[in-house]
Amino acid sequence: MEIPYEVTPRRDTGLYNSKLAVWLFLASEVMLFGGLFSGYVFLRLGVQEGVDNPWPWGLNVHKGYVWLGFLNTLILIGSSVGVVFAWVALKERNWRRFQVLMYAVVACAVAFMCIKSVEYNSKLTKHHGIKLLDNSVMEGRILDGTDKVRFAGEKASFSLQGALPIFLRELAGDEFPELTLETAEGEEPVTFSSKGEFKKWFYQARRETASGLADERKRYRTELANGVENPTPVSVSTSATVTASKPFPLNGNPRTVIGHSDTTMNYRDGSKVDGTLTGDDVLFEIHEVDMQLVMPTKQRDSMLWEVVNDEGAKQEFFTKQHKYYETMRAYYEPRGETIPEKMLRGHKLNLHYVHVGGDHEEGHGSDGEKQEGEKEHHGDEVHTSESKPSASKLEKDTGHHGTITVPRDKIKFMGNHGPRYGNYYAIYFTMTALHGLHVVGGALVLLYFVVFGKKMFLKNPEHLANRVEVGGLFWHFVDLIWIFLFPIMYLL
Amino acid sequence: MSAVTAEKHEETHDDHHDHYEPFWKKYIFSTDHKTIGIQYGFTALVFLAFGFFLMMVMRWSIAYPDRAVPLLADWPWFQAWLDDGGKVTGDLYNMFGAMHGTIMVFLGVVPLAFGAFGNYVTPLQIGAPDMAFPRLNMASYWLYLLGGVLMFVSFFLPSGAAKAGWTNYSPLATTTDLHYGDLFWTGQTQWLMGMVFLISSSLLGAVNFICTIINLRCRGMTWMRMPFFVWAMLVTGFLLLLAFPPLEVAALMQLMDRLAGTSFFIPTGLNVSGMSFDAAGGGSPLLYQHLFWFLAHPEVYVLILPALAIVSEVIPCNTRKPLWGYKTMVYAVMVLGFLAFIVWAHHMYITGMGPAVSTFFQTTTVLISIPSVILITSLLISMWGGSIRFTVPMLFATAFIPMFGIGGLTGLPLAFSLTDLHLHDTYYVIGHFHYVVAPGTIFGLFAGIYHWYPKMTGRMMSTRLGHLHFWPSLIFMNGIFAPMFFQGMAGFHRRAFDGGKAYEQISNQVFSEPNTFISNLCEMMHVIEPDAPLRMIDLNIITSGSAWLLAVAQVPFIINLFLSAFNGKKAESDNPWDATTLEWATPTPPPHGNFATEPVAYRGPYEYSVPGADRDFTPQFESDPSSLATGKENEEAPAPH
Amino acid sequence: MSEEIHDWGKHKKTYLMVGIALFFFTFVTIALALFPPFDVGPPGPTPGDYVLGLAVATTKASLVALIFMHLNHERGLIYKTLVFTVLFFIGLMALTLFAEFDPIREQYDTFETTNGKLTEQE
Repeated sequence: MEIPYEVTPRRDTGLYNSKLAVWLFLASEVMLFGGLFSGYVFLRLGVQEGVDNPWPWGLNVHKGYVWLGFLNTLILIGSSVGVVFAWVALKERNWRRFQVLMYAVVACAVAFMCIKSVEYNSKLTKHHGIKLLDNSVMEGRILDGTDKVRFAGEKASFSLQGALPIFLRELAGDEFPELTLETAEGEEPVTFSSKGEFKKWFYQARRETASGLADERKRYRTELANGVENPTPVSVSTSATVTASKPFPLNGNPRTVIGHSDTTMNYRDGSKVDGTLTGDDVLFEIHEVDMQLVMPTKQRDSMLWEVVNDEGAKQEFFTKQHKYYETMRAYYEPRGETIPEKMLRGHKLNLHYVHVGGDHEEGHGSDGEKQEGEKEHHGDEVHTSESKPSASKLEKDTGHHGTITVPRDKIKFMGNHGPRYGNYYAIYFTMTALHGLHVVGGALVLLYFVVFGKKMFLKNPEHLANRVEVGGLFWHFVDLIWIFLFPIMYLL
Repeated sequence: MSAVTAEKHEETHDDHHDHYEPFWKKYIFSTDHKTIGIQYGFTALVFLAFGFFLMMVMRWSIAYPDRAVPLLADWPWFQAWLDDGGKVTGDLYNMFGAMHGTIMVFLGVVPLAFGAFGNYVTPLQIGAPDMAFPRLNMASYWLYLLGGVLMFVSFFLPSGAAKAGWTNYSPLATTTDLHYGDLFWTGQTQWLMGMVFLISSSLLGAVNFICTIINLRCRGMTWMRMPFFVWAMLVTGFLLLLAFPPLEVAALMQLMDRLAGTSFFIPTGLNVSGMSFDAAGGGSPLLYQHLFWFLAHPEVYVLILPALAIVSEVIPCNTRKPLWGYKTMVYAVMVLGFLAFIVWAHHMYITGMGPAVSTFFQTTTVLISIPSVILITSLLISMWGGSIRFTVPMLFATAFIPMFGIGGLTGLPLAFSLTDLHLHDTYYVIGHFHYVVAPGTIFGLFAGIYHWYPKMTGRMMSTRLGHLHFWPSLIFMNGIFAPMFFQGMAGFHRRAFDGGKAYEQISNQVFSEPNTFISNLCEMMHVIEPDAPLRMIDLNIITSGSAWLLAVAQVPFIINLFLSAFNGKKAESDNPWDATTLEWATPTPPPHGNFATEPVAYRGPYEYSVPGADRDFTPQFESDPSSLATGKENEEAPAPH
Repeated sequence: MSEEIHDWGKHKKTYLMVGIALFFFTFVTIALALFPPFDVGPPGPTPGDYVLGLAVATTKASLVALIFMHLNHERGLIYKTLVFTVLFFIGLMALTLFAEFDPIREQYDTFETTNGKLTEQE
């Protein structure tokens, strides 16, 4: 059996099957990315000034990494041109040229993904932010994993009806603590010396709890049905407690710990660990201060300055802010307009680079241009008069930033610049990752054509050319998406 | 001169393709569209039965909220979800409610309607040897199965399956089950994973269907000679192709919200159980609803169009009359497909949308009733003056029309934003929607099963068991859904797991005074005490009882489905119903590659009782020089012999 | 479709030109964003910048779609499909925004945050 129109186009539609299919598929891809673009526009326009996190300016977010995005754009365009010429090479029946071009295209895809991973890595591991209770934000870096709650556990209690208790996943160190199950008096004590043993026991106990409950309830219902007044209520213990022979270290993820005191840590699955709190404060290397969500009148008394506790840095911040304010006024006043609130709250005014820890002599914030070359001031351009962020060089770890200690109870939200950090980051990661998946998928298909296509080329070169055309259509579409992603994510 | 008999001879010579195929290749990893269609069909029927089971447990909780669930209360699985008295808890009700909707829509009806019938019948009706991409076809079945298995397995996770409703609205869906350690292995997350697979499966399927219909039509099968079924499949394919991606986006975004902690759908300052929710905020729950309903409204047409199309095949065949207004129906279904994309926000009137946008969606929603009414009226008129054979498929097809009519007309009050404010989220909505898909679509699908069964197996299904299946089903379907309209208008909320017991002002309203006909009837059935009025809440018992009896009524069908394959009456020919479309030109059951000789369509699909013809049907595949003069539509019309 | 075309040299030239144009427009994009003389309106991204940036992106995208993806000479069936796709995409985006920023409801919205007056939430 042969499917018709696999290679030759059908007369009335003028299309061979796979070409029609790929266009239909691309139509659905348009709707897929269309949904995401709609989401982008919807979320961006839906930002309520002063309430939601402001939508950051792409240039401010990426800083030096904008050039990486730019490079990626060039790479993708280059690969797109490559695919077209590879197809032409096949049409001219030139296998060698096709081979070279196609491998070049795949190499472009690999380069694209590598650059992408550099970008991701910087956001996920090198940049953090902390939002305090009054919505002032510090940008910088959390040091030594201190966002975790450090705890020495001695005793843990948990339910036998759900999943494995969370604390098991947060054990610090490689060693599994020796845990002893609390049993009723007279029973043999159970001890676990490895995670595997504990799991095995846990699943067994969970099954026993369920069947025990079933039996108890059956008795209860039978007694009720038999007219027994006030039958003994169902009582099956559905929880268990283990004690450790010596305190075991835990790194409580702030997302799984819903509350903790000096002696207990409560997890969101209802399990509880007793012990002693060994460390709670967050060590933070502060780079920038962001006051966009704080009323201008309250900025001077912000909680942030208590935390930073550095008059010089505060001074520096307000000097810069004043300067930016002057820039705005210089634009709007000659036009007889007041500065719109959007600009007041806007992308840059309240986001300034500050220096904490003695390195803030007179005048150094006011002379941005002069110090542009100095690496520890690389962020200054964000707020200098013409106010374009520097994209001239990659951000480097300078080690010149001041380190402060942030008490956990003053923190409203913290995290790396991953998808969690705000809607911009969320849509940035979602869209670029989905686009990256398309790049990988497309590259694999193209690679398949060039690696395994020789046989088909010898047998029916037109068939291979059709396939390459279809794969190329997909590749161009991926390029087309990136052409939009680059400006909306990096530049605007 | 009959092509049918000619092809029968050919059949025996068709063994040059017949190289040895191992069992797993022939029946499990098959690329044959018919095998895949049957795989889809069986999987979907199993899921339908499972979804039905979930609903029966829910109906127990609604009818008898203070009694232990019978039969199930001792199962260990249920222990985490029942209270000490063996009664259904809110969590269980929510879980079963959410999964009933999901399973019925995404794993039951769509795969049965689009996957099974579409796969089996479409290539046959257009005279194609197979789908355009057989391996892609297989991939979409396995993706569907994977999605289904994920959904099913999620019941056995510690968190249970998804509980946030089949619509999975955020932020509820995002914040449900967050207290489980491993967020990936929670029902809510697995629902999203399952949806991603199901959507991918549907997208591949849709591409394949559209390609097949556009490019693989046989010689002479011009656009206006395609059976209406094929047209409906084409429009359905486009609906799936263009409407599903936004839901895939929504599912991915919600997955990010759950796993990566983003806040696409989490507004600023959200509090969950008294605690500030740990997310950046700034998202919009409404965005999810828009993306969801952008699919889910067209999805309703995906549910209904294939059934309608099956009915429009069964009716002309059994009335021995052409389909009335074939061209009108084709244009109507295209308009319907177009309008389906711009009506979605009528599900969202009470979200605080402004009046301007409500008016827009209200207008488009009312507009879409025009093509729907054209379709259903054409079917009705098709029966006018015909000499109807009330075969079992015809019974189901006949019942489809009024049932779908009730479902459609009761939708009008929901289309208007003002009346919707009152009816939203009440049982009225449940009644309306289920009239469309349960006695509507499912009856259509039953009609299809009875109609094409002889083609698939070579044997007829038992008529006696068929009647035993049809009549109780019809009665109990109405027993289930008709009371819901009254309850809904009285204000019963659809998500109350005690059936509204807690709201006495609503539930104690009198539906029928004592000693009226209805009250006496209910008294006889021990629904109410003697001389007591029939209250709104008592209707719960009628509904639930009908639901359980409906399950019993499916037993004859299941027996019929399996037994007839071995014991059924042999189909007398390849065309036992004397039908006209191309699928009846194949050998029975059709071999891999379908047609013994290259099929040619000589005329339109519904040439029944052509004046002057010696039989009351003139199949598309039979050449008849006298009719060729009128049948010539484009360059591809075959030359006379 | 392409059997009748034998003059690949001409095509290659077109593709090369388009490739160069795409590279050129990429430089335009980044120049528009990075260099202050091209900044429209007040400092920072403003609606003018968005329009300009998206216009350049759209130009690039159309070049890719028309020349590389051969949409300048394609079959009617594909145009039909794409026209509906684009319509529905516009519908999705526009109607969603329409629902969020309803012109009638906007008149009655209580929170006013215009003209530099900062209203305190809460």
